[in-house]
Amino acid sequence: MSVKTDTSLVDRVGVTDLLSDDVFIHAALVLSILLMGLPLLLAAVMSTQSTTEIYQVTNVGVGSEGLSNYETALVDYNLTTYMVNSFVMAAVIVVGKIALSLLAALALVYYRLPYERAVFMFILLTLLMPVPVRIVPLFQLMADLGWANTLLSITGPYIASATAVFLFRQHFLSIPVSLVENARLDDVGPLTFLWKVLIPMSKGMIAGLAVIEFIYAWNQYLWPLIVISDQHKQVIQVGIKFLQGASQSGLTQWSLIMAGAIIALIPPLLVLIALHKPLLETFAIQQK
Amino acid sequence: MAEFTKPYDSKLQAGLLLLPTAIVLVAFLYYPAIETFRLSFFQTLLLGTKQTFVGIENYATLFSSTEYQKSFLVSVVFAAVVVVGALAVSLFVSYLIFEVDVGESTYLLAAIWPYALPTAVAATVLMFMLHPNLGIVSHYLEAWTGYEFNWFTNGPLALVVVAVVAIWKQLGYNIIFLVAALNNIPETLTESAKIDGVSRITMLYRVYIPLISPTLTFLVVMNTIYAFFGAFPLVDLMTSGGPSNATNLLIFKLYRDAFAFSSLGKASAESVVLFVIVSILMYVQLTISGRRAHYGA
Repeated sequence: MSVKTDTSLVDRVGVTDLLSDDVFIHAALVLSILLMGLPLLLAAVMSTQSTTEIYQVTNVGVGSEGLSNYETALVDYNLTTYMVNSFVMAAVIVVGKIALSLLAALALVYYRLPYERAVFMFILLTLLMPVPVRIVPLFQLMADLGWANTLLSITGPYIASATAVFLFRQHFLSIPVSLVENARLDDVGPLTFLWKVLIPMSKGMIAGLAVIEFIYAWNQYLWPLIVISDQHKQVIQVGIKFLQGASQSGLTQWSLIMAGAIIALIPPLLVLIALHKPLLETFAIQQK
Repeated sequence: MAEFTKPYDSKLQAGLLLLPTAIVLVAFLYYPAIETFRLSFFQTLLLGTKQTFVGIENYATLFSSTEYQKSFLVSVVFAAVVVVGALAVSLFVSYLIFEVDVGESTYLLAAIWPYALPTAVAATVLMFMLHPNLGIVSHYLEAWTGYEFNWFTNGPLALVVVAVVAIWKQLGYNIIFLVAALNNIPETLTESAKIDGVSRITMLYRVYIPLISPTLTFLVVMNTIYAFFGAFPLVDLMTSGGPSNATNLLIFKLYRDAFAFSSLGKASAESVVLFVIVSILMYVQLTISGRRAHYGA
């Protein structure tokens, strides 16, 4: 082989190699993302089918039911009630957790506190106590307090958070000392300081934590399943389970169940899409 | 932060600010957690109204029970499959997002959405897609491989199916942290290897994975915690622990022992075992993050 052909071959391989490399990455990414989303796309399409259509296993066309399965799920199967219950529960948890954690972090960072480290450890240690670790006594406590079947039972135990206190504490510690000095010289009270200085400077983190806590609260399943026995007070995740029993002349109404699953997914998905930027920033701080 | 003068010193005010958090943590976390320990040494009858001290009998019964041993084993295998599977897929996708020339933020958003995916929704959707008779995925899998994909009767297969759902759900969380970790690597550390023309795959194994190993360890811990504590809806909605206890994870067994069979003492002992597991995992995580940053003051 002549030298000339050899170099041109190397050149060509070099260019196409680079090109195909980037194309390959895009192709692999698109494929992976499609694969990740495929079950949901199929579920969305099949939620429009009738029971007969969905029993034709390979039928992936838009069905004859349109959005009527959604209507049936929301109205006849009470998903509207469960959605409202979930929204109220998530809102109370998000607001309560952020408010309580802001106050606790204010005390930890800006007060001369005896045993500060011990207090902080006392809060952090609760990371070792997820619900399954205390489930039996917690259930009995709810019964003793008369909270079973109430909003209090699915929000109260979740309203304080080691994670949120930890993150606010980290964030407050990173606020420039000069700002704090100004507040001190101007003799600003602690709550005014929190409201006028700390909260405006923590907007991103509050938004990020709100997403984390909303998704966390929305996705609760085990605890509401146990502590809520009155079906009308139940949350949407457990509500999906009630749909599993839906059948029509002996056939499970899978299209209705798919519609219910999509309904239960939409709120956290929208929150994530709308607030992904502060979420990513908050996670970045958690990792540091 | 050392030279920072704290502006306030009223102990009363500080106490009041900490009080709401303290009340919730004591009443709903510390008290029931400690009560779990106490109850684990008692045998309870009549929904807990009658309690007899039995020492370590609940633990002895538990550890000698073949059903519990199997549940423990199944949970460990499940956690291993979920951790390895979720991290392998997440690392693959994250590396692609990190390496892509244009559109990184769009791809990132398109890949992290499973973070918002409720476990119960993931379970419901994949249960149908993988349904032995009606699922479109299992239909084609059977048609292409000739393998009978009946996880309603095949125990190990059922465990794999449940693990696949858990992996799917965990992808978003993992990708968020992995892409951030990859982007945080200073280019000075990777430049020379790139100039040497090291291939992408070699770069990943030789350069990037060692550099992001703290994040990988953190994710191993978080995914293990999810496998032990968060997978309950998967079992409850998809298999109810079956077939023949092949998916009877510790968390599901605890739920049934406590709330279906009312063995409160025994269930409390199971909770204590879970406490030991989460303690070990958090210890690993704190030790590792403590090496890089300081949790304490």
